[in-house]
Amino acid sequence: MSTILGNLRQLFRDICGRNRADQPGNPTEMNALFRFRYTLFKELLVANSELLTVLSDMDEKLKGETVFGLSYITNQVNKSLRHAFQMVKSLNVMSGGKHRELYAALERINDRIKAIMAERRAEHAPRAAVPYEQILLADADWAGGKNANLGEIKNRLDIPVPEGFAITTKGFHDFFAYNDLKEEIIKQKNLIYINEFDLLSNLSAETLELVRSKPMPPELEREILAACEQLWGDDQSVLLAMRSSAVGEDGDISYAGQYLTLLGVTRAEICEAYKSIIASLYSARSISYRSSKGVYDEDLAMAVACLKMVDSRASGVLYTRHPYDITDEHILINAVWGLGPYAVDGVVTPDAYTVTKDADLVLLDKTVATKPVQLVLNRQGGVEERPVDAALQGAPCLTDDQIRTLAGYGAALEAHYKCPQDVEWALDQDDRLLLLQSRPLKIQSPKNFCLLKTAPLEGYRLIVDSGEIASQGVGRGSAVHVRSMEDLADFPEGGVLIARHSSPEYVIVMRHCGAIIVEAGSVSGHMAALAREFNVPTLICAQPVMELIPPGMEVTVDAYTGRVYEGTVTELLAAVKKEEAHMKGTPVYEQLQRIAKNVIPLNLVNPDAPEFTPAGCATLHDLARYCHEYSYKEMFQISDLASKFHGWSLKLDAPLPMDIHLIDLGNGLREGAMVKWNAVQVDEIVSAPFLALLRGMLNREVHGLEPRPVNFAGLLSVFREQTMAPGHVGERFGDRSYAIIADKYLNFSSRVGYHYSVIDAYCGDTVNKNYITFTFKGGAADDIRKNRRVRAISRILDREGFKVDVKADKVDARLQKYPKSYIESRMDILGRLLIFTRQLDMLMTTEQSVEWVAENFVAGNYKLTAPPVEA
Amino acid sequence: MDKKQREFKVLLVDDEDVFREATARQLSVRGFIVLTAASGEAAVELVRNDPPEVVVLDQQMPGMHGSDTFIEIKKLDPLIEVIMLTGNTSVDNAIELMQMGTFDYLMKPINIDELLYKIEDAYTRKKLNEKQQREAGQ
Repeated sequence: MSTILGNLRQLFRDICGRNRADQPGNPTEMNALFRFRYTLFKELLVANSELLTVLSDMDEKLKGETVFGLSYITNQVNKSLRHAFQMVKSLNVMSGGKHRELYAALERINDRIKAIMAERRAEHAPRAAVPYEQILLADADWAGGKNANLGEIKNRLDIPVPEGFAITTKGFHDFFAYNDLKEEIIKQKNLIYINEFDLLSNLSAETLELVRSKPMPPELEREILAACEQLWGDDQSVLLAMRSSAVGEDGDISYAGQYLTLLGVTRAEICEAYKSIIASLYSARSISYRSSKGVYDEDLAMAVACLKMVDSRASGVLYTRHPYDITDEHILINAVWGLGPYAVDGVVTPDAYTVTKDADLVLLDKTVATKPVQLVLNRQGGVEERPVDAALQGAPCLTDDQIRTLAGYGAALEAHYKCPQDVEWALDQDDRLLLLQSRPLKIQSPKNFCLLKTAPLEGYRLIVDSGEIASQGVGRGSAVHVRSMEDLADFPEGGVLIARHSSPEYVIVMRHCGAIIVEAGSVSGHMAALAREFNVPTLICAQPVMELIPPGMEVTVDAYTGRVYEGTVTELLAAVKKEEAHMKGTPVYEQLQRIAKNVIPLNLVNPDAPEFTPAGCATLHDLARYCHEYSYKEMFQISDLASKFHGWSLKLDAPLPMDIHLIDLGNGLREGAMVKWNAVQVDEIVSAPFLALLRGMLNREVHGLEPRPVNFAGLLSVFREQTMAPGHVGERFGDRSYAIIADKYLNFSSRVGYHYSVIDAYCGDTVNKNYITFTFKGGAADDIRKNRRVRAISRILDREGFKVDVKADKVDARLQKYPKSYIESRMDILGRLLIFTRQLDMLMTTEQSVEWVAENFVAGNYKLTAPPVEA
Repeated sequence: MDKKQREFKVLLVDDEDVFREATARQLSVRGFIVLTAASGEAAVELVRNDPPEVVVLDQQMPGMHGSDTFIEIKKLDPLIEVIMLTGNTSVDNAIELMQMGTFDYLMKPINIDELLYKIEDAYTRKKLNEKQQREAGQ
C-alpha cells in the first residue's frame, strides 16, 4: 500500500513540478530556439540538394561525351566542397558541435582533392585573339567550350563553320589587369547585400558602366582588329555575331541566357561590344546566381566567339540518331526557310528528312511542309519575320544532294565524338552548308517528349510505359523482389531488382544486377547517384511494379524511354552502344575521374553499420549522407524542447481527445490567422504535413461513435502496471501534445496516456527533401501487451509503405523521398493510427490480436468489436 | 523580421566605413543595440569595457586580423559568440574558422536577412551555453 501511495505522491509531484523546472523563459526566446534549429535544418537540406545536383552533373561528364576543361573541374570541386562544408557546419551548429570530427574528415578529403588538382594547371592562351584555324577541343580552358568545339569541327573534320575567331581568356584577364578592375569590383561587391535587389541592380549597373568606361588595352584592341583584317581584309560590311563562351561553367543550361549575345556588330563597334559582353558577367542575375551556387568570381573568365553572321537561306537542326527511340539509328534533319530559331521554337512546321547513317547515306523519307513565314536578318543587324515567296512555301529547303552532304557531316561528327550529336546548321546565300554548333544529343526521357514519344516496340508485352529515369541504359534479367535487406543476401547474378522504394543500400548488389525498378524515390537521390556510378539502368515508376512484375519474370528495362517489357527484347539490347566516348582517356578526363573518386562514391550506406562515423567518411557524398542522417535525429529531438515550454503556445481548437499546442516556426498558420483566447481553428493551419495529419486524426471513421469495448482482463493489467511499477508510472502522463509547424514542416510529439509518439516530417515540392520519421513507444500494459501492440503498429506501418524497426516496446518507422501527395497520404494514415491506437493495449489479450488489429486497420475497419480469443 | 527591441548588444567590426555604417543602421532599425569598431584593436577594447552578446567580425582587416581579434575576444569572454564575415572563398579557411570556434561564418557579399537570423541564433546559443554553465556549476 505504501508503494501505491508513494507512487501517487510522485505522480502528483511530477505533474505539478514540471512547469517550473527547466523553463527557458519567454515566448521570444522559445521561438528563437526552435527557429534556430529549423533554419539550420533547412540550410542543410538545401546544401544536400545542391551537392547531389553537382554530383549528378559530374557523373554526366564522366560519360565522356561533353567537352569540359580544367576550369570546369575547379568549379565543380569548389561547389561540392562548399556545399559539403555547409552541411557539416549546419549539423554542428544545430547540435552544439556534436559532430566536430566531420571537419577533420572534410579536411582530409579536401587535401586529397587539392593534391590531384595541383598536378595539372590550365594552359594559358597563346594570344588574345585566335582564329578558328588554330583552335582545337583541348583548348577549351582558354577558348571556352563553344569556341573549342567549332575549332575542332573545322580543323579535325574539315566541316565548314562560319568564319571567325575567338577572343580568349587572355583578352579578358588583360582587360581587367590593364584597368586594375578585378579588385575594385570585388571590393564594391562586398559592400552590398546580396538579397537586396535594388542594391544589386545598382552595383550591376555601376559595374557595367565601369567596365565600359575603361579603355581597351591598346595591344588587345590591335590584336582583335588584326584578326578581323586577316579574315575579311578591308570589307567593313561584314557583320558579326558575338557570343559569350564562358569558361568554368557547368554546361550551357545553367548559364543559358545569363550572358550577353550581340548580333549584327560592325567592325567599328567590336571593342565596345566586347566590353559589354564581358561586363555581363556582373549582371545582377549572374552575381546572385553565382553566389547561390557557390561559384567564385576568381575562378571566372570569359572568352568570346566572334563569328561572321550567316544570312541563311535555310537552316535547321540535325540529330545523328533518334533522340528517344534507341532502336532508331537514322539521321534526322529538319529545315525551315530563313534563320534557325523558327525550326527550334516550332513557329513553323519544318521539312523533315530521314537518312541512313551507313556509307550510302540513303534518303529514306522526305516530308515537305508548308512554310508560310521565315525569320531573316534586317539591315540594322536585328531579325524580323517575313512571308516566304508563294512559290517556295511548299518547296523543300534542301536538294537531295544537300541533304546527303549534311547527313554526311552528321555521321562524321558522331563518329568523331563517339556519341550522338545535336547539330545546328545553316545554308548561306551562296548555297554553302555551314555548321553553327554541335553538342552531345541527350537521349531524353519521354516525359520531355510526351507528344513525340515513339510507340512501344511491337511483339512484346509492355508492363510499364512511363517510368522516370534515374540512370540510363538497357538491362535484362529475371525479376527479384526486395522487401528487406535480407533479400539482398543471395541476390542472383544479373537479376532485376524490384522494390517499393529506392535505397542506397542496394549498392551491395549493383555490381551484378541487370537493372533496378522501384516504385518511389528521387531521380537525383543517393540511390540514383550510385546507379549511375555503377551503370545500372534504373527506373522509378509510380506504379505497383511489385504486383505488375512477379518474382522470376524475365523483363527488359529500357531506361531511355522509361519502359519495361516482358521477356528479352533483342532490338533494345543490340542498340546499346559499347563505344568509349570522345573525352575518355584525355588527361582532363582522367583528372576528373581521380577527383570524382573523392567526391561521388557512397560508402556509408547503412546508418546502423559501425563504420557510419565521421572517420568512415571517405568522400563528400559520405559526408552529405552522414549529415543528412544526423540532421533528422537533431530535428526529431526538437520535441524534447517543446515539453519544456508549457508556458507559451497556441492551442488547437479541434474535436480531438487530446490537447494539441502549436508552435509556429514560420508560415505554418494562414497569414493573419485569427487567434481567440490563445486558440486557433483547424482552418487557420496551412502547414502541409500537419494538415494531412489532422485530416487523418479528424477522420470520422476512426473516431466512431461508440467507445471501443474494453476487455476487462486488459483493463486490470493496465491498472496493475500503473500502480505496481515504480519509476515507470506517469513517466509522460499528463503531458500535452505539441505540433511545431512551418509551411512544409511538422514535428508532432504526442504524450497521451502512457505512451508517446513523435512524428517529424517535411513535405514540399522537392521529392528529395521529403520524409517522415515516426517513433512510438510505451504503453501502460505489461511488457507482453506492449510488445504485441508495438508489433501490431509495425505491421500496419510496414503495409502502409514505411521502413520499420522494432526494439522492445519501441517502433521506429521511416520513409523518405516520396512526392508530396504520397507523403500527405501517409500523414493521413499516421493521423488515423494515432487515434486508433489509443488504449489499444487493452485489446492485446492474445497473440492473434496482433494480426487482427493490423488487418482491420489496413482494411479501414476501425471499429474493433470482438478481439479474437486465445486458441 | 519584426522591429521589436531585442535588448542585447551586437558589436560590428569592419574597416570598410560604408559597409559598417550601413549594416549598423540595418541592425539598429531591427531593434538591436549596435556598437561598432573600425579595427580589431578597437573591438578588443570595446569588449573589455562594454561586452556585447554577439560580435560580427570582418576577417580581412588591416592591422589586427579578424582571426587574431577573435582569439583576443574569446580570451576576454569565451561565451561571446562571434560571426565571421569573409571574402576568402577557400574551404580551408572556412574549416579553420569553424574549428577555431566561430559561431558561423558568412561570405561577402552577405545576405542581410541571413546575418540578422544568424545574430539571433548566436544569441540563442549563447543563452543556452550560459544556462548549461550555470547548471554545471550548481
